Amino acid sequence: MLRPAPPQSKAQLLERSQAIAGLNLAELATRFEIPMPQNLKREKGWVGQLIEFVLGADAGSKPVPDFVDLKIELKTLPISQTGDPLETTFVCVAPLTGITGVHWHNSHFRNKIRQVLWVPILAERQIPLAERVVGTPFLWQLEGEHEQLLKQDWEELMDLIVLGDVTAITAKTGQYLQLRPKAAHSRIMTKAFDLQGNPIKSQPKGFYLKKDFTRMVLAQAFS
Amino acid sequence: MTIQILPARLANQIAAGEVVERPASVIKELVENSLDAGATTIDIEIEKGGSKLIRIRDNGAGIAKDELTLALSRHATSKVSSFDDLENITSLGFRGEALASISSVSRLKLTSKPAQQTEAWQAYAEGRDMQVSIIPAAHPQGTTIEVVDLFFNTPARRKFLRTEKTEFYHIDELIKRIALSRFDVQFTLKHNGKTVRHLRPAQTNKEQDRRIGQICSKGFLDSVVRLDCDYDGVSLTGWVALPQGCRSQNDVQYSYVNGRMMRDKLINHAIRQAYGQQLNSTQYPTYVLFLTVSPRQIDVNVHPAKHEVRFHQARLIHDFIVQALEKAINPENVLEYGIDQNDPLANSAAGLTNEPPAQGALYPGQQGAFNGAAVESVQSIQQSSPDYASQNQPQSQQQNTVQEQASAYQPQGGYQGKQPGAQQLKSYHQALASFSAPLQQQIISPQSEHVQNTTDNGIKKGKSGCLSVINGHFALYQSDNSVFLLDLDKVNGKVAASQYSKGLVGQPLLLPVKMVLDKSTLLWLQQQSELLNQLGINFECLAKAVVIRKVPSIIRNRNISDSLSQLFAWLQSHGQDSPIALTECIQWLFSVLGEAGDYDLLAAMQLIATCLQQCEEQQLLDFCGVRVCLDSYIAQLANLDGSTSE
Repeated sequence: MLRPAPPQSKAQLLERSQAIAGLNLAELATRFEIPMPQNLKREKGWVGQLIEFVLGADAGSKPVPDFVDLKIELKTLPISQTGDPLETTFVCVAPLTGITGVHWHNSHFRNKIRQVLWVPILAERQIPLAERVVGTPFLWQLEGEHEQLLKQDWEELMDLIVLGDVTAITAKTGQYLQLRPKAAHSRIMTKAFDLQGNPIKSQPKGFYLKKDFTRMVLAQAFS
Repeated sequence: MTIQILPARLANQIAAGEVVERPASVIKELVENSLDAGATTIDIEIEKGGSKLIRIRDNGAGIAKDELTLALSRHATSKVSSFDDLENITSLGFRGEALASISSVSRLKLTSKPAQQTEAWQAYAEGRDMQVSIIPAAHPQGTTIEVVDLFFNTPARRKFLRTEKTEFYHIDELIKRIALSRFDVQFTLKHNGKTVRHLRPAQTNKEQDRRIGQICSKGFLDSVVRLDCDYDGVSLTGWVALPQGCRSQNDVQYSYVNGRMMRDKLINHAIRQAYGQQLNSTQYPTYVLFLTVSPRQIDVNVHPAKHEVRFHQARLIHDFIVQALEKAINPENVLEYGIDQNDPLANSAAGLTNEPPAQGALYPGQQGAFNGAAVESVQSIQQSSPDYASQNQPQSQQQNTVQEQASAYQPQGGYQGKQPGAQQLKSYHQALASFSAPLQQQIISPQSEHVQNTTDNGIKKGKSGCLSVINGHFALYQSDNSVFLLDLDKVNGKVAASQYSKGLVGQPLLLPVKMVLDKSTLLWLQQQSELLNQLGINFECLAKAVVIRKVPSIIRNRNISDSLSQLFAWLQSHGQDSPIALTECIQWLFSVLGEAGDYDLLAAMQLIATCLQQCEEQQLLDFCGVRVCLDSYIAQLANLDGSTSE
């Protein structure tokens, strides 16, 4: 089956996304004639790619929102039977160098998640891939209290990076946003600065939304 | 020496002598301020046992810039404003001297930002007259207080300070006490840069148990009873160790009155008395107890540090604590973890205090004096009379266990056996269940006549109202001289039907529900989509199943597929001949799926009142009730008289 064209409007995207709510991944893959892997060991991002395909996301791997024209990012969100997020959500890679003058309003981070179409997926570990169910997708805007909370954490983390305290950052820093190594394995290194301003090598890091945050997002949408 | 007014700093230093004894007392005052400000997170940082640095940061309401100066002056507070307030203190602090006192014996900085203010300000007092200076500062919402160099200007006091370790022990002990009183607040305590305690907010029972374990040692939870007693506005909750679990140190003895930690003689005495002979000489009572009374019933303005409290009815409180604890630690009652608040025996236990209750709160017969918890069921009505009788008995009976007393006096309530029994209730229930539409009028059982037949002559204006709730589903309702049994679920349906006459709003399900259905049902569903949409149900039919995406909120928190199958079955059976009206569906939804019973008297009264705003009483009785025919009981009572006179 041909790849669906990118949605022309928010309404069309929403309508499309509502139409897949409640289907399991096998039904979805069959409907769009996509081969289904046995498990996710070799194709970690398969679920995300499937949803992107089905909804007509057109960005590919470019650093722009998944729905380029609508400026909407697509995020799948694994949840448990009780509707609790199961994993943290990756947002973007944290730049460790070349960040002089970056502030919240022009940050890549904020730009990336200003508007998100969340697609919850019932994905408890013991459920086989084929039987995992797509929840009800919903549109979400980064604003108000949510934005304030992330901004605080982001600023704190960026301060640590800029002032050369990268190594002091653990996954426990930050209330709703955390910085974790993001690389295929621990030998990959990238440039950063230490406390004295000397260049050092450090693991590449990524910004992740903590489960507490996505739990709030879910609660707001389904309250 | 001439008489003169003391300089402000000296006056404050003298006051500080009472309140600021050691670093821990500073922290007590400051943390209580944070709690009074509604903080949910409190971080405490200590250096060198508190003599070098005490820093307390909270996310509470904050202090506006204009009030910062006042905050540091003596006799200034936001917590009381008139003498009347002093009689009804609900905050922890109220004297308005803590900050001024602390600030007079240390270098204190107060930084604060309320939510409505865009920037933070820092205040500090200095010099002989304690002039307050204010400078701009950076701070998130809330308040930080930094106390540096405690007692730097009072060398005498400084000599009394113990080692760093001892002072910190006192601080830690204090934080434990406070943390037990406020499970909803997160506390972190750091000493010399190391996190010593991190107590997360605890809402559920399990989380609370975890905090208790963190603070009182894990072993405490192994042989402990959770207590929950409530009587006439006084309640006692908490954890109390069984005699065999009592510790050989007196370190786990935490008592609170209205959330304020106490070392009160009266309370300690009552607790010790409750254990009686069950403790050996090396054991100490072990407990975490919270007593809640109306603030008007106590006087906390007894001691500057507020460790003691005066109760207006001290003896009553004492006896209440003794009896509640005796019952809790009596081994016979420990089968289940905790005492049910609704347990009628627990209520009657409280009813056995020496003094008669101030108001007839245990007296369900009086209108207006209803106590929702006390009048849960027929059972508690039956007991109320014997309980009252027991209060007039000699007090030597006090030693008996509660059950014995309750049962001993039961025969005095002469009408005991004449209440509708379980079987009769059942038949009423059947009677109510079997008439589903208001138009089907028929006499259903010999014991219950339909309302319509008996009230044709019209209701005279008379006393009417809800008397009691039975089984959580039914209300005994008096109208004039007749008594009716109302089906509260049906009343709920009736109320909802007129409330939502335009239909229900569907709410999206995070996880849509898939129901496997046969072909004919699926076909039928598609035909019904308009009606179902009006009920707030949004769905899509697949080949062999239907995916439900939106449901009305009444269904959302229940088992969705069960509820919907019930609804579909009902629609199919009732809609064969003629289409069903929307209101009828809503009525059905709310009466079958609504509150699902569990009404207490208050809820039932409210529900009936709402219904009576929408329709006439007669209509309510016709639709949702049957008349309880009392004639046969009156006849039985007559017979009873005959037999006793012989």
